[in-house]
This record gives sequence, C-alpha cells and structure tokens, in this order.
Amino acid sequence: MSYPVWRRVAWCCHLLFALAVTWPGQTLVNAPAPFVLGLPRQMAWVAAWIVASLLVMWRLDAARNRQVAHGADVGRDGNATPRAGSDVG
Amino acid sequence: MSDSFGLISVVIFGYLAATLAVGLVAGRRASKSVQGYVAGDRDFGLLVMYFITGASVFSAFAFLGGPGWAYSRGAAAFYILSYGALGMAPWYALGPKAAALGRRFGFVTQAQLLTGRFPSKGLSALMAALTLAAFVPYVTIQIRGAGIVIEAVTDGRIPLWAGGALAYGVVMLYVLASGVSAVGWTNTFQGVFMLAIAWTLGLYLPYKLYGGTGPMFEQILDARPELLALPGLDSAGEPWSWGAYSTSILVSAIGFTMLPHLFMKAFTARDDRTIRRTVVLFPTFQLFLIPVFLIGFAGVLFPEAPDQPDFVLPFLILRTDLPALVVGLFCAGALSASMSTGDALLHAGASVVVEDGVQPFRPLSDKARRVLMRVLVVAVGGTAYGFALNENSSLVDLLLASYGIVCQFMPSLLAAMYWRRATTAGVASGLVAGSATAVFFFLYPGLKPLGLHEGVLGLLVHVPVLLAVSRLGKPQDRDHVESFVRV
Repeated sequence: MSYPVWRRVAWCCHLLFALAVTWPGQTLVNAPAPFVLGLPRQMAWVAAWIVASLLVMWRLDAARNRQVAHGADVGRDGNATPRAGSDVG
Repeated sequence: MSDSFGLISVVIFGYLAATLAVGLVAGRRASKSVQGYVAGDRDFGLLVMYFITGASVFSAFAFLGGPGWAYSRGAAAFYILSYGALGMAPWYALGPKAAALGRRFGFVTQAQLLTGRFPSKGLSALMAALTLAAFVPYVTIQIRGAGIVIEAVTDGRIPLWAGGALAYGVVMLYVLASGVSAVGWTNTFQGVFMLAIAWTLGLYLPYKLYGGTGPMFEQILDARPELLALPGLDSAGEPWSWGAYSTSILVSAIGFTMLPHLFMKAFTARDDRTIRRTVVLFPTFQLFLIPVFLIGFAGVLFPEAPDQPDFVLPFLILRTDLPALVVGLFCAGALSASMSTGDALLHAGASVVVEDGVQPFRPLSDKARRVLMRVLVVAVGGTAYGFALNENSSLVDLLLASYGIVCQFMPSLLAAMYWRRATTAGVASGLVAGSATAVFFFLYPGLKPLGLHEGVLGLLVHVPVLLAVSRLGKPQDRDHVESFVRV
C-alpha cells in the first residue's frame, strides 16, 4: 500500500483506538474473565490496541521511506522532506 | 533489614554517582549558547530521543502512582495504559513540522512558535505562567516519589525530606552544568535501568506470591471482583464514573502531545527521520506499564497494607525476602523514573520562563539568559521541594490537574501550524477562556457535569472562542501565514 493509504489507515486506527478504550466502546469488553495471557481481558484489550498502534505506525513509516526513496513527493502532509540533493546548489 | 541496609545504600549511592557522571560528561560536547543549553544544538540521535521521550514520560507517577492506583482503585488504572500511544501518534506529523519551524525561525520553546505566528508579549507571558503552573505540581510529584522510595527502602533511616533533597541535589548539579544534553544522556541510562527492573519485578512478584499472573487475577476476582470491573473505583473506594474515566484518557492524551518538556524535544532532534522513528517506537515504552500494574495488583491480597497506596511498590519489595542487591537495584530504578522526569521538567520550566517570560520584555544577552536559567532551575526545584514536604494528595491526582492546564495548549498550537484564518486575538482569548474554565472546575469539582475532566470542559469553551474571535477579526498577512502553514 502507498503512503497516503497508510496515512489514512493510521488515522482510522487511532480513532478506533480512542473509541475502543473510552465509553461506550470499552463497555463492550468489560468482563475480566476469561483471562488473556494471564491478564484481565480489559487490560489485554488495551495492550492489543497499543500493539496495533505500533504495527500501523511502523508500516506507515516504512511506506513513507519507500516513497521518499523513489523520489516521489510525499505530499502536503505538512512535513514534506526535500528529495536527496534538491537542497544542494 | 538492618544487615542489608549497608548494601542497599551502596547500590543507591553507586547509582547516583553514575548518573551524575553521565550527566556531567554529556554536557562537555554541547556548545555554550542558549541553543546548546536548551536544544542540544539540535543534534540528538535516535537512541537518546527514544529514551528522552520514554523516560521523561515515565516518571515517579508511573512507577509509584501506577501501582498505587492498581492496588487501591483497580481497573481505573487502565486509563494510564490507554493514553500514551494515543497522545504520541499525532507527533508523527506535528513533530517534524515543529522542528522545521524551529530550524527556520530559531525557536527553542513552544511559546516562541506560538508567538512567532501570533506576535503578542502577553501570549508569551501567559504560556510561561501556565507552563510553570503545570510544572510545579509535576516536579513536586517527582521529588516526593524519590523521597518515598528512599524512606521506605531505608526503613525510615533516611526520611522523605533528606531522600528527596539528596536525589534532587544530584539532578540540579547535572542540569545546571550540562543543560539538555545531561537530561538526554541520563534519561538513556535511567530508561534502560527502569525498563529492566520493571519487567523483572513485574513478572517475578506475581509468580512468587501467587504462582503466576493468571492465578493472581483469579484470586483477586474471587475476593475483590469490583477491582477488575471498569471503570474501577474512585479515591474514596466508590465506583468511578465512565465520564471521568473516558475524559481522563482524552485529556491525558491531548496533554501528553502538548507537554512542554516533550514538545521542546522536537527542537533537539538531529533530523525529522529521528523524530518519526521515535514516534514509531514509542508504544514499546508504553507496554512497560503492564508489569508496573502487575506489581500493584500483587499487593491487593497481601495480608498487610501500606499506609498510603503510593507506597505499595517499595512496601511489597521489602516484604518478599528479595536479596538486598535486588532491593537496592529496584530503588535505583524507581529513582531513575523520578529523576528522569524531574530533570526534564526543571530544565524545560527554567528555559520557558527565561525565553518566554523574560526575554520578550527585557532582552538579555545569550550569556545572561543561560545564567538566569540556572538560577531558575534552583528556584523551581526549591519551590517544588517545599510543596513536596507537605503534600497530601495522591501522585496521580496532582498529575491529572496539571494535564488539565497543558491540554489547553493544543488548539493554540494546532492553529499556529495549520489554520490560516486564526488571529492573535482569537488564540489569546481562546487560551484565556479555556484555562480559566479548567481552573474553575478544578477548584469547584462538585459543579462538573457527568464528572467530566476539567481539561475537556476547558476545551469545550476554548475551541468555540478561538473559532469565533478569529473569524470576527481581520485575517493575518498572507505571506506571514504561509511561512508557518506551508512547511
């Protein structure tokens, strides 16, 4: 997937994360048992979202680096990096 | 306990000496200028950036307050687990943008960025005052945390006042000598230390006391089921409200994004790639709260109880027959947590007061500013130390109050970097209205609708005022706006 797509995925993922750990999202997962890896289910639920955040941000960054390496413009995300050499001369 | 006291003190003093050495050596590379003292000459690499963000976030509050909450308020503590990754993700876009503006205009603080776009001395002074108001309780927590650990582990031989003074004496020395370079490198050292200690003890204690985390939680579920149901309990032991739980997560996530001592670190990074990678890796630091909570839960069914929930971690460690060396190392880990946040706060607080509270009104030379920053490090530390000696509220409550103020910075800074139509009057009136609302509900908590956090209530007033006043005023000069928005 391309960088713009991953950027949208990252936004959605964190929006869902915020909804999933606050009211009313979190009320869907509010029974401690059965435990997951020895942790109460709510705690494992939050931990799973943190891991999801880690994975999405990792893929987002990889997609961005691929795009920059190919010399493509990363677009107006507010922090476009100049292409290699473009600031020289 | 008495035989092991010697060994424990040796470990603690060894740790303090090592920290001091790292801090003093680190500063020898930095240039003797405000940019060197505050922004590390914009030359921090990935390792230091990772730990400076991680370790300055994980403070005495995470190491002592976190287990204290898990122990006394159960599932309510999960809010602490929830917000960090949420607050960090926006930095992937915000951080490099703030850093680019910092390089372009020479900013080293948040308020400089804000008043660069919205020129106003009053706004600058207001930011400095709010930062200070948020930081003093925050540093107080850290000093108290250090004192608590030392007092508990030495069985009261070194009381809270002396322990806090000792640990923060060391912090002052290296912050005074080396500025942000000391903060960066000591945080790296302290971060490694506390990660290792937390994971080891968090897995060991439940195993030792209950035979594993699963059996531990089964026993808690049998004996105290209310502790494992969200949103947990409030400080009086009554069920907490969902409104308070949810808004605590939101306010902390927003406040986290805007914490001045973290925000300013965008100006210290070597390049944008370093900032992005730091953001990507941050959730790994967040997971470190899991073992910390396990330690707190391990105390729930322990036959004895500590005097205060915040003491539960050292309390357990001293009663589980761990070797003195491990107790000493734990103590050093907890001190790391306290000191790695306290140093960043003291340094950032002093820098902000000089750069934003003094410099716009009375321009001083580079050298005079660095001297004044050092004076203020001592003044802020001294004030917080005074509060730490007679403070009764829990560590987490103090922290939540300061997040309520800090999260008011978000609409202003987003407007500065992204909203073309924002005006100085709009940003200033929004910030005043939002902060006043937050302070009002902090002082009169009984009036809060649905138990919502005062920070969210402040934002509900802040954002409409910012939008309305900006729209009514004259737009800013186009070239000026574009130099901030198109970066």
